[in-house]
Amino acid sequence: MKPTRFSSLSQLTLVLSGFAAAVLLLESQGLAIWAERLEVGHGRAAAVWTTSVMERTLAPLGIDEFRGELLADLYRLGWTDDPALLNGGMRDESRPNTSTVVLRPSGPGAIVRRQAGSRSQALSHGSVDRLAASVPTLTPLQPLPAAADGHARVVALVGDSMMAVGLSDGLIQQTASNPNVRVLKAFRSGTGLARPDVFDWMQEYPAMIGNAHPDAVIVAMGANDAQGFVEDGKVLPYGSPEWIGAYWQRTAAFLGLLTDNGARVVWVGLPPMRSGKFNEKIAEINRIAYDVVSRNPQATWWNPQSLIGDQSGQYREFGIMPDGQAARLRAADGIHLSDPGAMLLVPSLLQWLNAPSQVVTAQLSRAHTNTIKQPNAASRR
Amino acid sequence: MLFPTVEFALFFVVVLIVAWSLHRFNGAHKIFLLLASYVFYGFWDWSYVPLLFGLSIFSVLIARQIQASQTKKLQTFWLAVGVTVCLSTLGYYKYTGFLFTSVLELWRHFGRPPAAHLLSPLLPLGVSFFTFHAISLMMDAYRGKLRQTVGVLDALLYVAFFPQLIAGPILRASSFLPQLAVRRNPSAIRVNRALLLIVSGLFKKVVISNLLATRLVEQVFAAPQAFHRTDIVLAVYGYAAQIYCDFSGYTDIAIGCAMLLGYQFPRNFNAPYTAANPQEFWRRWHISLSSWLRDYLYIPLGGSRCSARRVCVNLMITMLLGGLWHGAAWTFVTWGALHGLYLVIHRGWTAVAWPPVVRLRKTAAWRWVSCILLFHAVCLGWVFFRAPSFGIAFALLQQLASPGAATLATFPVLLALLAGLFGQFQPLRWRRAAECEASRWPALVSGAAFAVAIFTIELLGPSGVAPFIYFRF
Repeated sequence: MKPTRFSSLSQLTLVLSGFAAAVLLLESQGLAIWAERLEVGHGRAAAVWTTSVMERTLAPLGIDEFRGELLADLYRLGWTDDPALLNGGMRDESRPNTSTVVLRPSGPGAIVRRQAGSRSQALSHGSVDRLAASVPTLTPLQPLPAAADGHARVVALVGDSMMAVGLSDGLIQQTASNPNVRVLKAFRSGTGLARPDVFDWMQEYPAMIGNAHPDAVIVAMGANDAQGFVEDGKVLPYGSPEWIGAYWQRTAAFLGLLTDNGARVVWVGLPPMRSGKFNEKIAEINRIAYDVVSRNPQATWWNPQSLIGDQSGQYREFGIMPDGQAARLRAADGIHLSDPGAMLLVPSLLQWLNAPSQVVTAQLSRAHTNTIKQPNAASRR
Repeated sequence: MLFPTVEFALFFVVVLIVAWSLHRFNGAHKIFLLLASYVFYGFWDWSYVPLLFGLSIFSVLIARQIQASQTKKLQTFWLAVGVTVCLSTLGYYKYTGFLFTSVLELWRHFGRPPAAHLLSPLLPLGVSFFTFHAISLMMDAYRGKLRQTVGVLDALLYVAFFPQLIAGPILRASSFLPQLAVRRNPSAIRVNRALLLIVSGLFKKVVISNLLATRLVEQVFAAPQAFHRTDIVLAVYGYAAQIYCDFSGYTDIAIGCAMLLGYQFPRNFNAPYTAANPQEFWRRWHISLSSWLRDYLYIPLGGSRCSARRVCVNLMITMLLGGLWHGAAWTFVTWGALHGLYLVIHRGWTAVAWPPVVRLRKTAAWRWVSCILLFHAVCLGWVFFRAPSFGIAFALLQQLASPGAATLATFPVLLALLAGLFGQFQPLRWRRAAECEASRWPALVSGAAFAVAIFTIELLGPSGVAPFIYFRF
């Protein structure tokens, strides 16, 4: 065929047809997963139905298995560092997930698979009102017992973008030269506990930490969770009693997983948000997390609003850092912490870890002294 | 809506089909593209669509006033009004936070800053780009580059056309409005070129840029204190490759999408790291921005047709403002200042007329040496561009003195780094040969091959899509 630079509209139509046919063959599973991850609503329902029909129809061709094998090979070759790809990026139904686990009555750390339909230990619908009307402002962090000599404290930083943006950077920077602390990064932006169909922390967290056994865990998550989700085929609108019950249960299950090996956990409450509406939703997430965490003796819920908020604990964008510099404390989206904002929280968390190297001790005491000079910060901690 | 997402793919296929089915009716075709562009923008946040529309319609009205004005004085007045409003809008959204921080910083030297609730506006996506489009429309009207009266629909579409709306390339009104004036030709679509551009753009963004970002650059720039010299050097080189692949990848996709719709966008990158001097670098890097700054800022300041001292001042002003355009932070200003300094030094160096130096400058060896020197100077600039604060930038530079083994130099990282940097040295004829080869294939096969390429890119790319770097500007 003679090569030409230009194509006609009919050729473009053929190109599109070839593309659409090949994409449906190659990506039917990917499209089905994409549809599942859409925000809950009529659009999602239509997309899920359409793509699942396509996926089922094309499944006999075995392309999904081929794709899964390719992904697993790429992981084995070291091309990707996401261990979830070992099963081809598909969900492993044999492993527990946040919608299939509940706390074992005997202890908050253990998890058991839930029998279909049972809701043992979950916050029942009638008890939703038992959630505290608001979370406490003063939540002092007691330092952990000192680690044994020669034993570096292994701390996992866990969460969504509330950990990934700012806070993890600050903690890693401040512990970089501390031989007494080993940091494990176990955070992923755009995740949460509301949508295990998008990212299931019950499956991903063990893969993220691998063989390491953290003895301290710092969690900051929940900013993506103010949305409805589907459980047992039923749409649970955000904030409904059923939603609160299911989300409570997922939070409890995840906290159980985190504390499974005796790890101590500090759960960082979500800071005040710029948008009033969003702030109300976040307050609900905080109430649930606080309720769950306060029932677990290995975990502490920590409210950072006295450090990051204004005098009344409300959202503030700008502030003066302990070293006297003016700084923007929040990211431009009014949700995340900026690097300086995160640095306001770091000294308290380092103090909780109680694993200072000499350098860090000096920094800590300096930062602490400066923080105490701030009337709306340390005085109310 | 991000380019490498299913949402955009579905959106674009629908737009492509409807737009071409309306090609006989140019008015309806453009109305549809305009509405599609607003949907594309509104997908991020509908509340900012009125801003986009308002700024566009304002610039159209001003451009028409300029064209209708009989005297140069009146034209200048309207231009001044238009540019002031556009720059004020940009300043309000982009620099209010920066201003607040700077004022608070100054205030604390004289006493306790006010505890007032200062709130800066949320930054609308692509505001820097659509503001520059609006200014270009008025400037081109002022300079008499637009032969016909500016049409409202054409101008609205010019500012909001979705392939370039969020991160460019920055189009000139004088080159794009004539394209809108005529019907698209359904027998002259450069489909193969467009598909190759889209595949190349996706590969650069999804595979190279995302891989370097997640497995090298983000880790080191987050906490440089935790890394030693080898990792630091790798991360700096890695960022040079990442930002090139990220931004040129976005541009390739934008140009490819526009091409499928029958429109021509200007080239925005031309192998920038092959440049041997800073002037050449800026002719190859973000060409649409550097030429915009040259035409609408550097030349009005006097350009190079004035004293050597004044030329240096003009260069510094242009690059400082160019740096500030990228972001409201002193680190971006420093980046601009460094590039201004490079241009000034280069100007001084080229002015040296001593024969041995003149002979040296003409040798191939010197070109290679200067290429390497320039690349490292550019990398130094990237440190300030990428670092969230001076503290991190200086900590990173300080760690260059800290010897230690590489911990992040994995095979995929090194491969992506080499591909990102040295891919630019591929001869142009390879790309032409690929297009020529693709055009021999039957159309159905081309479409299927395009799907296979996207499937492969999806497999090779890290999970989760990081936004394009230039979205935030």
